[in-house]
Amino acid sequence: MSSAGTKLGKQDSATLEVKLRALLVEDNALDAALVVRALHKDGFDVIVDVVQDEAAFTKALRARPPEVVLADYNLPNWKGMEALHVLRKEGLDIPMVLVSGALGDVTAVECIRQGATDYVLKDGLARLPEVIRRALREKQERSLRHKMEDDLAKKVDELARSNADLEQFAYVASHDLQEPLRMVTAYTQLLSERYRGKLDDNADKYIGYASEGAQRMQVLIQDLLAFSRVGRNGVASGTVDCNAVMIDVLQTLATAIQESSAVVTYGELPTVWADRTQMTQVFQNLVGNAIKFRGKEPPVVSVQAEKTAQRWQFSVSDNGIGIAPEYVENIFVVFQRLHGRTEYPGNGIGLAICKKIAERNGGKIWVESQPGSGSSFKFTLPFHSPDDEEGARS
Amino acid sequence: MNTNEVDILLVDDSQDDVDLTLHALRAENLANHVFVARDGEEALEFLFCTGPHAERSIDHPPKLVLLDLKMPKVDGMQVLKQIKGDERTRTIPVVLMTSSREERDMVSGYDLGVNSYIQKPMDFDEFRKMVKLLGLYWLVTNRPPVTNGRTHAAGQAK
Repeated sequence: MSSAGTKLGKQDSATLEVKLRALLVEDNALDAALVVRALHKDGFDVIVDVVQDEAAFTKALRARPPEVVLADYNLPNWKGMEALHVLRKEGLDIPMVLVSGALGDVTAVECIRQGATDYVLKDGLARLPEVIRRALREKQERSLRHKMEDDLAKKVDELARSNADLEQFAYVASHDLQEPLRMVTAYTQLLSERYRGKLDDNADKYIGYASEGAQRMQVLIQDLLAFSRVGRNGVASGTVDCNAVMIDVLQTLATAIQESSAVVTYGELPTVWADRTQMTQVFQNLVGNAIKFRGKEPPVVSVQAEKTAQRWQFSVSDNGIGIAPEYVENIFVVFQRLHGRTEYPGNGIGLAICKKIAERNGGKIWVESQPGSGSSFKFTLPFHSPDDEEGARS
Repeated sequence: MNTNEVDILLVDDSQDDVDLTLHALRAENLANHVFVARDGEEALEFLFCTGPHAERSIDHPPKLVLLDLKMPKVDGMQVLKQIKGDERTRTIPVVLMTSSREERDMVSGYDLGVNSYIQKPMDFDEFRKMVKLLGLYWLVTNRPPVTNGRTHAAGQAK
């Protein structure tokens, strides 16, 4: 049974001696010797254990785990296929090849279906080395893939954990910072109440600086708490009608709108799957910014939504001062500000919160802008419910 | 001070916080009969008249306990539990004052029978207003419960 093909293969592999530990399930010593010889001939430096029954098989598996199991299909006291069950039970991923005197096609296919790697007839042992090589190769690929999957899962786990740790840290830190800060603000206030004008001018000034600083820090901490709360409060909790959200937002911003003579319009907005408070935060921050960062003209703000193939895309556009291209990424980072506090008040938390909310809801946020010619903040959200891919209600 | 004539038992481990509260109470003339316990343990000794307070009479409870939540050793929640768990002290009004926003604390506070749960305002003026409101309400407006004859009698005696 040695075809030209197998001979060629033999020569190739004979050049590199491959060490192989095999476990033979075989009752016939002569057959076992033939198997070993076939492997030797093909360049395998093979070490074999030969067993005949389940007990010996299990024992050998545990004592010297083989790289491959070669099992006779028919044994007087055991069935070769049973070896497969033992391998599974032991949690071992070791390829098993059936080596049999006679095996019908149907049986052979059934064995492979059950998990045998391949089968080789005893009068065709020349095929065995190639079968084993392939089995080992496949196993290596398999374990490599498993390892990569495991590594990836571990990384995802670690990331999730460190993310949660960070959230927790931000929350606890800002929470615990409030208590001592409360003392600083209270006592600087008491100092200024009791000793204003009784010390010298410098003293009054210093006390003023101290209490301003403490007050600013209070706002920062509250912002940080608000930011970390976005993460703590989970995501999407129901359907939110963005039109209703806009009504609330305009009410909240009424004073700012009036003072700046702003014109805020909005088109037909969709119902989305999100958290209402968070959606309100997003629109309020974006519309509020559009009013705050106005140019010489009264602000004109337009809020629109359009349906793209996969999601809703919202836009909040204004005629304000715009943003230089080099800053369009920065502005979404916590506490990043582009202007002096006296120019435009604020701590640089609003857009960071918007970004976090958009991303936690499976969307994105970005800005399209040119200095001097207004900005258009855009963000996307998935259609309003996971079950409603069409999102047809608009 | 005669410890049998205490209006407010203030339980707080941080001196700065105690001073602030006393300052706010003083502004309303409510600080004359305040006893300050430095931690939960001392608060319990005072209320149950044990240890250094063995001379005190349990029939003369304070009209109000202002209780900080976070304290070393015996914390506010444990003090509350003891007060509300004892027949002799459970009618004493207890107000938990905390900087915690944890809803968990609030829920367990009410579960244990706290009379009021207050988050200390960050702003000092707000804090002053709050202390004034608390003091006036519990010491002047509120009438102590009549369920425990002796407690009531003690309250009337002053």
